[in-house]
Amino acid sequence: MRRRVRKGRELVPLTALNVGEEGVIAFIRGGRAAVQRLMDMGLTQGTRVKVLASAPFNGPLELMVRGANLAIGRGLARRIFVKAATP
Amino acid sequence: MSQETSSKGEDDKKRRHIRIALAGNANVGKSVIFNQLTGLHQHIGNWPGKTVERAEGTLSYRGYMIDVLDLPGIYSLSTYSIEEVISRQYIAVEKPDVVVNVVDASVLERNLFFTIQLLEIAPRMVIALNQIDMAEKKGIKVNHEKLEKLLGVPVVPTIAPRNVGIEELVEKVIEVYEKDVRPLFTLKCGPEVEARIEKLSALLREIKSPYPPRWMAIKLLEGDEEVEKIVYNEKPELERVVKALGAEIEEIHGHSVSSVIASERYNLANRIARECTEQLIRKRRGFIEKLEEATVHPVLGYVIMAVVVAALFYGVFRFGDFVTALLESFFDMVKVAYDGWFGTGFLATLIWDGIIEGLIAGITIALPYIIPFYIALSILEDSGYLPRIAFLMDAVMHKIGLHGKGFIPLILGFGCNVPAILGCRIMETDRERLICGFVASLIPCAATSVIVMGLVATYIGMNWAIALYLLDFAIIVLLGRIAFKAAPGEPVGLIMEMPAYRRPTISVTASKTWFRLQDFIFTAFPIMIAGNFVIQISSLLGLLDVAEKVMSPVIVGWLGLPAATGITLTFGILRKELTLILLASLMGTKNFAAVMTPVQMFVYSTVVMVYIPCIATIAVLIKEFGYKRTLIITLVEIGFAILLGGVLYRILSLLF
Repeated sequence: MRRRVRKGRELVPLTALNVGEEGVIAFIRGGRAAVQRLMDMGLTQGTRVKVLASAPFNGPLELMVRGANLAIGRGLARRIFVKAATP
Repeated sequence: MSQETSSKGEDDKKRRHIRIALAGNANVGKSVIFNQLTGLHQHIGNWPGKTVERAEGTLSYRGYMIDVLDLPGIYSLSTYSIEEVISRQYIAVEKPDVVVNVVDASVLERNLFFTIQLLEIAPRMVIALNQIDMAEKKGIKVNHEKLEKLLGVPVVPTIAPRNVGIEELVEKVIEVYEKDVRPLFTLKCGPEVEARIEKLSALLREIKSPYPPRWMAIKLLEGDEEVEKIVYNEKPELERVVKALGAEIEEIHGHSVSSVIASERYNLANRIARECTEQLIRKRRGFIEKLEEATVHPVLGYVIMAVVVAALFYGVFRFGDFVTALLESFFDMVKVAYDGWFGTGFLATLIWDGIIEGLIAGITIALPYIIPFYIALSILEDSGYLPRIAFLMDAVMHKIGLHGKGFIPLILGFGCNVPAILGCRIMETDRERLICGFVASLIPCAATSVIVMGLVATYIGMNWAIALYLLDFAIIVLLGRIAFKAAPGEPVGLIMEMPAYRRPTISVTASKTWFRLQDFIFTAFPIMIAGNFVIQISSLLGLLDVAEKVMSPVIVGWLGLPAATGITLTFGILRKELTLILLASLMGTKNFAAVMTPVQMFVYSTVVMVYIPCIATIAVLIKEFGYKRTLIITLVEIGFAILLGGVLYRILSLLF
């Protein structure tokens, strides 16, 4: 599989992806309740997510996860680490 | 659904009773199904002691009395929100005869994650595969027969707004109930996890609990505090076993147990969803998708939001003002007639001022704003636009410790705090509801604005009025942040679904508004009438003169205001606009400049803005948060107003 040169194979926070880019979740850092909630909404390890929109002024990200559209606050998104993937 | 009563004699002999519960994710059309099932036979209230709406209704069908309970929309059966805890306790403890799991066909995988958890508790179950029309528009076709086979649970495809499949659903419910069909499906994890679940559930057999042992075993491994409490109370020695087993799983997988199990559930959901869905060839991007993109656009999104919010605000309060004015002139006429019949003796005055005034206040202040607000809220919720507003405003709202959804109640607060506080329900957790309600009660409502304009803007100048507003916003940010720090619980950032846009159905909006209104009248009116009664009686008995003397050190000594303002502030609790009307009559003039200095006017307006929520607001605070929390909010606001007023008086006196 061809990988993006810029982001290579290293892990980046979800916030580093641009709108339209995709990534595969590697791990999530954070409090128990928040991590549990993210997993309940489908953000488990190995899940492919796509960034659909990004609100200005450090607002939330809109993601496509398992066929559903989710909004995730920027603070949480910073703690979700993904491996950038080719769309 | 038609209310059929069978004519067959044998059915009438014994009207059988079935209790069903609707469970499912948010935004799957659950409330539409609920509405189709129960029609006008509904009751909306609260879960005991919780800020969570509880909708119940009944349906009679072929000789069966079916009680329908609409559980809150949730994504999991963990303990993240009160809704989740309420739902799983209801299903396990109250044991409804049949659980109807409403599933959104267009987001099947995420919905099945919840279905799998429901199946772990193993109630009798029927799945309503809803929104199949929307799924097909998105190019997804679900084979419901295959789904039924894979899960071992009856699946009925439905399109709730068009009443498609609803009757079949009821038939299935009755069949499952009569034949006592129990699901056999269980989540099978990998062997290394499975062995440990087995081992633990064997140890849990003797525990007295409404939950199945296997379910408790999984929950214990996931670290569920509720289940830990149940189990460790009875067998504290198990804590070590659970810890050890959990550590072994974590050792093997390198991830926390809860993450391993969530992944297992999602893998299963994914497998089932893939097996029974077919991707159709997508039609070109529809209008709905373009709208979805436009409404979260960094520029256009805000323009659309400004228009919608302005229209909402204008619509609600224009309508409210109009109806209030009509009602007031009507009640003025009633008052004249009343005086004509009963005179203005002590008893007649007592009855009017003490009891009828309270009722009128409720009708003229609250209702004209609450009805259009409930309609607007229902439309915002059902159309799917609310999450978009939350998305755009999240960053700003974080400054006062709330996330984006809080924007709507706060904006409404500028018109009237009552709908604002009722609107705080859209926040997910109890903690956020409380902070939001507290902040909303600080927003200067239309009546407060009348006072600021009538005193500060008229006699001191517009700049000072603006300064007062800015001061108030600074207070809101400050107190909001303090509440954010002080409120119990863990703050969680924004995690919400952005559902596809849908056309709200008139019947759901109408019935939601009507039944929510009933709930409001029953809970808030008695408090408003009682509050009015206490103050009016004190006034008639001359207790207010005593109160004026008692308050005088604070009013005159600390705040530097004329002594009579104490009484106006007391009556202001009933309706804030009374403070100004009463001030004029007590001072004997409408020219306030003759009796108060500019500093006094500014201090007075500041105090009126912050000092106490009005009686209607207090009533909804009690309705939503209970007496204790309302008392704390009220006391904090009174204390803060006095402190601030006194400090302002001293600073401003130095300047002028």
